[in-house]
Amino acid sequence: MATKRSAAYPIVFLTLVVLFSVVALTLVNEVTEERIAANKREAIKQMLAELFPEMADFTQDEGSGLYSLFDTSAVVTDGETGETSVLSGSLPIGYAFMTDGRGYGGKIGILVGLEVDQAVRGIRIISHQETPGLGAKITQIGFLDQFAGLSPGELAIRRDGGAVDAITGATISSRAVAEGVVQGIVDMTAALEAVGEGGP
Amino acid sequence: MRSFVKNLTNGIVRSNPTFILLLGLCPTLAVSTSLDNAVGMTGAVLFVLLAANVIVSLLRRWIPNRVRIPTFIVIIATLVTIVDLALQGFAWSLSQSLGMYIPLIVVNCIILGRAEAFASRNNVRQSVADAIGMSIGFGVAILLISLVRQLLGTGSLEVFSIRLFSVPGLADNPASIFLLPMGAFFVIGILLALFRWMGVSECE
Repeated sequence: MATKRSAAYPIVFLTLVVLFSVVALTLVNEVTEERIAANKREAIKQMLAELFPEMADFTQDEGSGLYSLFDTSAVVTDGETGETSVLSGSLPIGYAFMTDGRGYGGKIGILVGLEVDQAVRGIRIISHQETPGLGAKITQIGFLDQFAGLSPGELAIRRDGGAVDAITGATISSRAVAEGVVQGIVDMTAALEAVGEGGP
Repeated sequence: MRSFVKNLTNGIVRSNPTFILLLGLCPTLAVSTSLDNAVGMTGAVLFVLLAANVIVSLLRRWIPNRVRIPTFIVIIATLVTIVDLALQGFAWSLSQSLGMYIPLIVVNCIILGRAEAFASRNNVRQSVADAIGMSIGFGVAILLISLVRQLLGTGSLEVFSIRLFSVPGLADNPASIFLLPMGAFFVIGILLALFRWMGVSECE
Protein backbone atom coordinates (compact mmCIF):
# COMPACT_ATOMS: atom_id res chain seq x y z
CA MET A 1 0.00 0.00 0.00
CA ALA A 2 1.41 3.32 -1.02
CA THR A 3 1.90 5.83 1.77
CA LYS A 4 0.22 9.20 1.64
CA ARG A 5 3.40 10.97 0.57
CA SER A 6 4.26 8.74 -2.35
CA ALA A 7 3.53 9.73 -5.93
CA ALA A 8 1.42 6.64 -6.43
CA TYR A 9 -0.97 7.45 -3.60
CA PRO A 10 -3.36 9.71 -5.59
CA ILE A 11 -3.57 7.09 -8.33
CA VAL A 12 -4.30 4.30 -5.86
CA PHE A 13 -6.82 6.44 -3.99
CA LEU A 14 -8.75 7.56 -7.06
CA THR A 15 -8.78 4.00 -8.41
CA LEU A 16 -10.25 2.80 -5.12
CA VAL A 17 -12.90 5.53 -5.17
CA VAL A 18 -13.90 4.62 -8.72
CA LEU A 19 -13.94 0.90 -7.88
CA PHE A 20 -16.15 1.57 -4.89
CA SER A 21 -18.44 3.68 -7.06
CA VAL A 22 -18.69 0.90 -9.67
CA VAL A 23 -19.56 -1.68 -7.00
CA ALA A 24 -22.16 0.61 -5.41
CA LEU A 25 -23.80 1.38 -8.76
CA THR A 26 -23.78 -2.28 -9.81
CA LEU A 27 -25.52 -3.25 -6.59
CA VAL A 28 -28.13 -0.51 -6.87
CA ASN A 29 -28.73 -1.37 -10.52
CA GLU A 30 -29.11 -5.05 -9.60
CA VAL A 31 -31.77 -4.21 -7.02
CA THR A 32 -33.71 -1.68 -9.10
CA GLU A 33 -33.40 -2.95 -12.70
CA GLU A 34 -36.46 -5.22 -12.72
CA ARG A 35 -38.61 -2.81 -10.77
CA ILE A 36 -37.73 0.06 -13.14
CA ALA A 37 -38.59 -2.08 -16.18
CA ALA A 38 -41.93 -3.04 -14.59
CA ASN A 39 -42.65 0.59 -13.68
CA LYS A 40 -41.85 1.73 -17.22
CA ARG A 41 -44.14 -0.90 -18.73
CA GLU A 42 -46.93 0.12 -16.37
CA ALA A 43 -46.43 3.79 -17.31
CA ILE A 44 -46.56 2.96 -21.04
CA LYS A 45 -49.70 0.89 -20.45
CA GLN A 46 -51.38 3.84 -18.74
CA MET A 47 -50.49 6.16 -21.61
CA LEU A 48 -51.80 3.67 -24.18
CA ALA A 49 -54.97 3.18 -22.14
CA GLU A 50 -55.63 6.90 -22.41
CA LEU A 51 -55.88 6.56 -26.19
CA PHE A 52 -57.43 3.07 -26.16
CA PRO A 53 -59.58 2.70 -23.02
CA GLU A 54 -60.72 -0.75 -24.21
CA MET A 55 -57.14 -2.08 -24.29
CA ALA A 56 -56.31 -4.93 -21.90
CA ASP A 57 -52.67 -5.61 -22.77
CA PHE A 58 -50.09 -4.86 -25.42
CA THR A 59 -47.04 -6.34 -27.09
CA GLN A 60 -44.07 -4.49 -28.54
CA ASP A 61 -42.21 -5.36 -31.72
CA GLU A 62 -38.54 -5.28 -30.71
CA GLY A 63 -37.11 -4.04 -33.99
CA SER A 64 -39.46 -1.17 -34.86
CA GLY A 65 -40.86 -0.43 -31.39
CA LEU A 66 -44.42 -0.72 -32.70
CA TYR A 67 -47.00 -1.54 -30.02
CA SER A 68 -49.86 -3.85 -30.89
CA LEU A 69 -52.84 -3.44 -28.58
CA PHE A 70 -55.33 -6.14 -27.62
CA ASP A 71 -58.65 -6.14 -25.80
CA THR A 72 -59.79 -8.58 -23.11
CA SER A 73 -60.84 -11.28 -25.60
CA ALA A 74 -57.19 -11.82 -26.55
CA VAL A 75 -55.66 -11.69 -23.09
CA VAL A 76 -55.27 -14.47 -20.53
CA THR A 77 -54.49 -13.81 -16.90
CA ASP A 78 -52.32 -16.20 -14.93
CA GLY A 79 -54.41 -17.19 -11.91
CA GLU A 80 -51.42 -17.48 -9.56
CA THR A 81 -49.22 -14.52 -10.41
CA GLY A 82 -51.88 -12.20 -11.82
CA GLU A 83 -49.63 -11.51 -14.82
CA THR A 84 -51.33 -11.08 -18.15
CA SER A 85 -50.20 -12.34 -21.52
CA VAL A 86 -51.52 -12.06 -25.05
CA LEU A 87 -52.75 -15.18 -26.89
CA SER A 88 -50.69 -15.75 -30.02
CA GLY A 89 -52.55 -15.20 -33.27
CA SER A 90 -54.94 -12.65 -31.77
CA LEU A 91 -56.12 -9.70 -33.81
CA PRO A 92 -54.96 -6.31 -32.47
CA ILE A 93 -57.56 -3.59 -31.87
CA GLY A 94 -55.06 -0.89 -32.75
CA TYR A 95 -51.42 0.12 -32.92
CA ALA A 96 -49.27 2.74 -31.24
CA PHE A 97 -45.72 3.97 -31.54
CA MET A 98 -43.37 6.66 -30.29
CA THR A 99 -42.04 9.26 -32.68
CA ASP A 100 -40.52 12.69 -32.40
CA GLY A 101 -40.81 16.08 -34.04
CA ARG A 102 -38.17 18.82 -34.28
CA GLY A 103 -39.60 21.55 -32.09
CA TYR A 104 -38.41 25.03 -31.19
CA GLY A 105 -36.58 23.87 -28.08
CA GLY A 106 -35.49 20.40 -29.19
CA LYS A 107 -37.10 17.04 -29.73
CA ILE A 108 -40.81 16.65 -29.02
CA GLY A 109 -41.60 13.05 -28.03
CA ILE A 110 -45.00 11.99 -29.37
CA LEU A 111 -47.09 8.88 -28.76
CA VAL A 112 -49.34 8.10 -31.74
CA GLY A 113 -52.29 5.71 -31.57
CA LEU A 114 -53.53 4.21 -34.85
CA GLU A 115 -56.76 2.41 -35.67
CA VAL A 116 -56.53 -0.93 -37.44
CA ASP A 117 -57.21 0.92 -40.72
CA GLN A 118 -54.27 3.23 -39.85
CA ALA A 119 -56.31 6.40 -39.28
CA VAL A 120 -55.10 8.32 -36.25
CA ARG A 121 -56.90 7.41 -33.00
CA GLY A 122 -55.20 10.15 -31.04
CA ILE A 123 -51.81 11.50 -29.97
CA ARG A 124 -50.14 12.48 -26.72
CA ILE A 125 -47.00 14.53 -26.04
CA ILE A 126 -44.57 12.46 -23.98
CA SER A 127 -41.71 14.94 -23.62
CA HIS A 128 -40.83 18.39 -24.87
CA GLN A 129 -38.76 21.48 -24.09
CA GLU A 130 -40.97 24.06 -25.79
CA THR A 131 -41.40 27.58 -24.41
CA PRO A 132 -43.74 27.64 -21.41
CA GLY A 133 -46.86 29.64 -22.19
CA LEU A 134 -46.35 29.40 -25.95
CA GLY A 135 -45.07 26.19 -27.52
CA ALA A 136 -45.79 24.23 -24.36
CA LYS A 137 -49.48 24.55 -25.20
CA ILE A 138 -49.02 21.60 -27.59
CA THR A 139 -49.69 19.40 -24.55
CA GLN A 140 -53.21 20.84 -24.19
CA ILE A 141 -55.97 18.39 -24.97
CA GLY A 142 -57.77 20.86 -27.24
CA PHE A 143 -54.81 20.92 -29.60
CA LEU A 144 -54.15 17.18 -29.43
CA ASP A 145 -57.78 16.18 -30.03
CA GLN A 146 -57.65 17.79 -33.46
CA PHE A 147 -55.51 14.89 -34.65
CA ALA A 148 -58.13 12.24 -33.89
CA GLY A 149 -59.57 10.65 -37.02
CA LEU A 150 -57.26 12.44 -39.46
CA SER A 151 -55.87 10.59 -42.46
CA PRO A 152 -52.18 11.07 -43.37
CA GLY A 153 -53.12 13.65 -46.05
CA GLU A 154 -54.77 15.96 -43.52
CA LEU A 155 -51.97 15.70 -40.96
CA ALA A 156 -50.53 19.20 -41.24
CA ILE A 157 -51.29 22.65 -39.86
CA ARG A 158 -53.67 24.82 -41.91
CA ARG A 159 -50.87 27.05 -43.16
CA ASP A 160 -49.32 23.92 -44.72
CA GLY A 161 -52.64 22.78 -46.20
CA GLY A 162 -53.75 20.41 -43.47
CA ALA A 163 -56.64 20.26 -41.04
CA VAL A 164 -54.91 21.17 -37.76
CA ASP A 165 -55.25 24.65 -36.23
CA ALA A 166 -51.79 25.75 -35.09
CA ILE A 167 -51.39 27.34 -31.67
CA THR A 168 -51.18 31.13 -31.86
CA GLY A 169 -47.57 32.22 -31.54
CA ALA A 170 -46.31 28.66 -31.68
CA THR A 171 -46.39 27.74 -35.37
CA ILE A 172 -43.03 25.98 -35.20
CA SER A 173 -44.06 23.78 -32.27
CA SER A 174 -47.44 22.99 -33.84
CA ARG A 175 -45.87 22.14 -37.17
CA ALA A 176 -43.25 19.98 -35.45
CA VAL A 177 -45.98 17.85 -33.88
CA ALA A 178 -47.85 17.39 -37.18
CA GLU A 179 -44.68 16.60 -39.11
CA GLY A 180 -43.51 14.26 -36.36
CA VAL A 181 -46.73 12.26 -36.59
CA VAL A 182 -46.50 12.02 -40.40
CA GLN A 183 -42.85 11.01 -40.25
CA GLY A 184 -43.68 8.42 -37.60
CA ILE A 185 -46.37 6.82 -39.76
CA VAL A 186 -43.95 6.71 -42.71
CA ASP A 187 -41.26 5.12 -40.52
CA MET A 188 -43.72 2.52 -39.26
CA THR A 189 -45.16 1.54 -42.66
CA ALA A 190 -42.99 -1.56 -43.03
CA ALA A 191 -43.62 -2.69 -39.45
CA LEU A 192 -47.37 -2.12 -39.80
CA GLU A 193 -47.49 -4.17 -43.00
CA ALA A 194 -45.49 -6.97 -41.38
CA VAL A 195 -47.86 -7.08 -38.40
CA GLY A 196 -50.89 -7.00 -40.70
CA GLU A 197 -49.56 -9.91 -42.79
CA GLY A 198 -48.58 -11.87 -39.72
CA GLY A 199 -52.17 -12.01 -38.53
CA PRO A 200 -54.50 -14.94 -39.24
CA MET B 1 -23.70 23.94 19.00
CA ARG B 2 -23.27 27.65 18.33
CA SER B 3 -21.07 27.00 15.33
CA PHE B 4 -23.62 24.46 14.08
CA VAL B 5 -26.33 27.12 14.05
CA LYS B 6 -23.91 29.66 12.63
CA ASN B 7 -22.98 27.37 9.76
CA LEU B 8 -26.64 26.60 9.20
CA THR B 9 -27.77 30.21 8.95
CA ASN B 10 -24.65 31.17 7.03
CA GLY B 11 -26.00 29.53 3.87
CA ILE B 12 -29.39 31.13 4.13
CA VAL B 13 -28.48 34.81 4.14
CA ARG B 14 -24.81 35.76 4.51
CA SER B 15 -23.48 33.23 1.99
CA ASN B 16 -26.67 32.52 0.08
CA PRO B 17 -25.45 30.26 -2.76
CA THR B 18 -27.55 31.95 -5.41
CA PHE B 19 -27.67 35.62 -4.43
CA ILE B 20 -24.26 36.04 -2.75
CA LEU B 21 -21.97 33.27 -4.00
CA LEU B 22 -23.69 33.22 -7.42
CA LEU B 23 -23.12 29.45 -7.61
CA GLY B 24 -25.19 27.00 -9.62
CA LEU B 25 -26.89 29.69 -11.68
CA CYS B 26 -27.24 27.49 -14.76
CA PRO B 27 -29.79 25.02 -13.32
CA THR B 28 -31.35 27.83 -11.27
CA LEU B 29 -32.08 29.91 -14.34
CA ALA B 30 -33.16 26.89 -16.37
CA VAL B 31 -35.79 25.42 -14.05
CA SER B 32 -37.12 28.49 -12.22
CA THR B 33 -40.16 28.79 -14.49
CA SER B 34 -42.69 27.48 -11.96
CA LEU B 35 -42.96 26.93 -8.22
CA ASP B 36 -43.42 23.17 -8.74
CA ASN B 37 -40.03 22.98 -10.43
CA ALA B 38 -38.43 25.02 -7.68
CA VAL B 39 -39.73 22.69 -4.97
CA GLY B 40 -38.55 19.59 -6.85
CA MET B 41 -35.10 21.01 -7.50
CA THR B 42 -34.71 22.09 -3.87
CA GLY B 43 -35.54 18.60 -2.60
CA ALA B 44 -33.05 17.01 -4.98
CA VAL B 45 -30.31 19.50 -4.07
CA LEU B 46 -30.90 18.98 -0.35
CA PHE B 47 -30.50 15.23 -0.61
CA VAL B 48 -27.42 15.16 -2.83
CA LEU B 49 -25.69 18.05 -1.05
CA LEU B 50 -26.23 16.44 2.33
CA ALA B 51 -24.91 13.05 1.23
CA ALA B 52 -21.98 14.55 -0.69
CA ASN B 53 -20.95 16.79 2.21
CA VAL B 54 -21.06 13.90 4.69
CA ILE B 55 -19.02 11.54 2.50
CA VAL B 56 -16.43 14.17 1.55
CA SER B 57 -16.12 15.24 5.17
CA LEU B 58 -15.62 11.63 6.32
CA LEU B 59 -12.94 11.06 3.69
CA ARG B 60 -11.26 14.46 4.02
CA ARG B 61 -8.11 13.13 5.75
CA TRP B 62 -7.46 10.58 3.02
CA ILE B 63 -8.34 12.54 -0.09
CA PRO B 64 -5.08 13.52 -1.81
CA ASN B 65 -4.96 17.19 -2.63
CA ARG B 66 -3.98 16.72 -6.26
CA VAL B 67 -6.95 14.55 -7.19
CA ARG B 68 -9.56 16.06 -4.88
CA ILE B 69 -11.75 17.52 -7.63
CA PRO B 70 -12.01 14.24 -9.62
CA THR B 71 -12.74 12.47 -6.33
CA PHE B 72 -15.55 14.89 -5.51
CA ILE B 73 -17.02 14.52 -8.99
CA VAL B 74 -16.98 10.71 -8.84
CA ILE B 75 -18.67 10.82 -5.42
CA ILE B 76 -21.33 13.30 -6.55
CA ALA B 77 -22.04 11.52 -9.85
CA THR B 78 -22.36 8.18 -8.04
CA LEU B 79 -24.79 9.67 -5.52
CA VAL B 80 -26.89 11.28 -8.20
CA THR B 81 -27.09 8.04 -10.19
CA ILE B 82 -28.09 6.09 -7.08
CA VAL B 83 -30.81 8.63 -6.27
CA ASP B 84 -32.04 8.50 -9.85
CA LEU B 85 -32.23 4.68 -9.94
CA ALA B 86 -33.76 4.41 -6.47
CA LEU B 87 -36.48 6.94 -7.33
CA GLN B 88 -37.28 5.18 -10.59
CA GLY B 89 -37.45 1.83 -8.84
CA PHE B 90 -39.32 2.69 -5.68
CA ALA B 91 -41.04 6.05 -6.23
CA TRP B 92 -41.98 6.11 -9.90
CA SER B 93 -44.41 9.03 -9.79
CA LEU B 94 -41.95 11.18 -7.85
CA SER B 95 -39.18 10.31 -10.29
CA GLN B 96 -41.43 11.37 -13.16
CA SER B 97 -41.95 14.83 -11.68
CA LEU B 98 -38.31 15.22 -10.61
CA GLY B 99 -36.85 13.28 -13.54
CA MET B 100 -35.26 16.13 -15.45
CA TYR B 101 -33.77 17.82 -12.37
CA ILE B 102 -31.85 14.86 -11.02
CA PRO B 103 -29.23 14.82 -13.81
CA LEU B 104 -29.03 18.62 -13.58
CA ILE B 105 -27.70 18.28 -10.02
CA VAL B 106 -24.40 16.86 -11.33
CA VAL B 107 -23.70 20.17 -13.04
CA ASN B 108 -24.89 22.20 -10.06
CA CYS B 109 -21.73 23.94 -8.85
CA ILE B 110 -23.21 24.39 -5.37
CA ILE B 111 -22.56 20.71 -4.62
CA LEU B 112 -18.98 20.73 -5.91
CA GLY B 113 -18.38 24.19 -4.45
CA ARG B 114 -19.44 23.15 -0.93
CA ALA B 115 -17.43 19.93 -1.11
CA GLU B 116 -14.33 21.92 -2.03
CA ALA B 117 -14.84 24.99 0.16
CA PHE B 118 -16.44 23.48 3.23
CA ALA B 119 -16.83 19.72 3.62
CA SER B 120 -13.21 18.92 2.78
CA ARG B 121 -12.06 21.20 5.63
CA ASN B 122 -14.66 20.65 8.36
CA ASN B 123 -16.03 17.80 10.43
CA VAL B 124 -19.19 15.89 9.64
CA ARG B 125 -21.42 17.85 12.04
CA GLN B 126 -20.50 21.21 10.56
CA SER B 127 -20.75 19.82 7.04
CA VAL B 128 -24.31 18.66 7.73
CA ALA B 129 -25.16 22.15 9.03
CA ASP B 130 -23.58 23.68 5.94
CA ALA B 131 -25.49 21.36 3.59
CA ILE B 132 -28.85 22.07 5.21
CA GLY B 133 -28.22 25.82 5.36
CA MET B 134 -27.05 26.00 1.75
CA SER B 135 -30.05 23.96 0.57
CA ILE B 136 -32.46 26.25 2.40
CA GLY B 137 -30.67 29.28 0.97
CA PHE B 138 -30.87 27.76 -2.51
CA GLY B 139 -34.53 26.87 -1.98
CA VAL B 140 -35.48 30.38 -0.84
CA ALA B 141 -33.66 31.90 -3.81
CA ILE B 142 -35.11 29.62 -6.49
CA LEU B 143 -38.62 29.88 -5.00
CA LEU B 144 -38.36 33.66 -5.06
CA ILE B 145 -37.19 33.73 -8.68
CA SER B 146 -39.84 31.19 -9.72
CA LEU B 147 -42.55 33.15 -7.94
CA VAL B 148 -41.74 36.33 -9.87
CA ARG B 149 -41.34 34.51 -13.19
CA GLN B 150 -44.49 32.41 -12.87
CA LEU B 151 -46.57 35.34 -11.68
CA LEU B 152 -45.50 37.70 -14.46
CA GLY B 153 -45.08 35.02 -17.13
CA THR B 154 -48.46 33.33 -16.74
CA GLY B 155 -50.42 36.01 -14.87
CA SER B 156 -51.57 33.52 -12.27
CA LEU B 157 -50.17 31.45 -9.44
CA GLU B 158 -50.58 27.71 -9.60
CA VAL B 159 -48.91 25.24 -7.23
CA PHE B 160 -49.14 21.50 -7.98
CA SER B 161 -52.16 22.10 -10.23
CA ILE B 162 -54.02 24.11 -7.56
CA ARG B 163 -54.77 27.60 -8.79
CA LEU B 164 -54.21 30.09 -5.96
CA PHE B 165 -55.14 33.31 -7.71
CA SER B 166 -54.76 35.09 -11.00
CA VAL B 167 -53.97 38.70 -11.69
CA PRO B 168 -56.79 40.44 -13.60
CA GLY B 169 -55.60 41.77 -16.93
CA LEU B 170 -52.26 40.01 -16.75
CA ALA B 171 -53.78 36.52 -16.90
CA ASP B 172 -55.29 37.12 -20.37
CA ASN B 173 -52.17 38.78 -21.65
CA PRO B 174 -49.21 37.44 -19.69
CA ALA B 175 -45.67 38.74 -20.14
CA SER B 176 -44.33 35.43 -21.50
CA ILE B 177 -40.88 36.98 -21.80
CA PHE B 178 -40.36 36.19 -18.12
CA LEU B 179 -40.65 32.48 -18.84
CA LEU B 180 -37.96 32.69 -21.51
CA PRO B 181 -34.25 32.47 -20.61
CA MET B 182 -33.80 36.23 -20.96
CA GLY B 183 -36.58 36.76 -18.45
CA ALA B 184 -34.60 34.68 -15.98
CA PHE B 185 -31.63 37.01 -16.35
CA PHE B 186 -33.83 40.08 -15.90
CA VAL B 187 -35.38 38.71 -12.73
CA ILE B 188 -32.17 37.54 -11.11
CA GLY B 189 -30.38 40.78 -12.04
CA ILE B 190 -33.11 42.96 -10.56
CA LEU B 191 -33.35 40.81 -7.41
CA LEU B 192 -29.55 40.99 -6.95
CA ALA B 193 -29.60 44.76 -7.34
CA LEU B 194 -32.50 44.98 -4.91
CA PHE B 195 -30.69 42.96 -2.25
CA ARG B 196 -27.52 45.01 -2.64
CA TRP B 197 -29.49 48.22 -2.40
CA MET B 198 -31.34 47.02 0.69
CA GLY B 199 -27.99 46.15 2.24
CA VAL B 200 -28.85 42.47 2.72
CA SER B 201 -25.72 41.53 0.87
CA GLU B 202 -22.52 43.50 1.02
CA CYS B 203 -19.65 43.19 -1.38
CA GLU B 204 -16.89 41.24 0.36
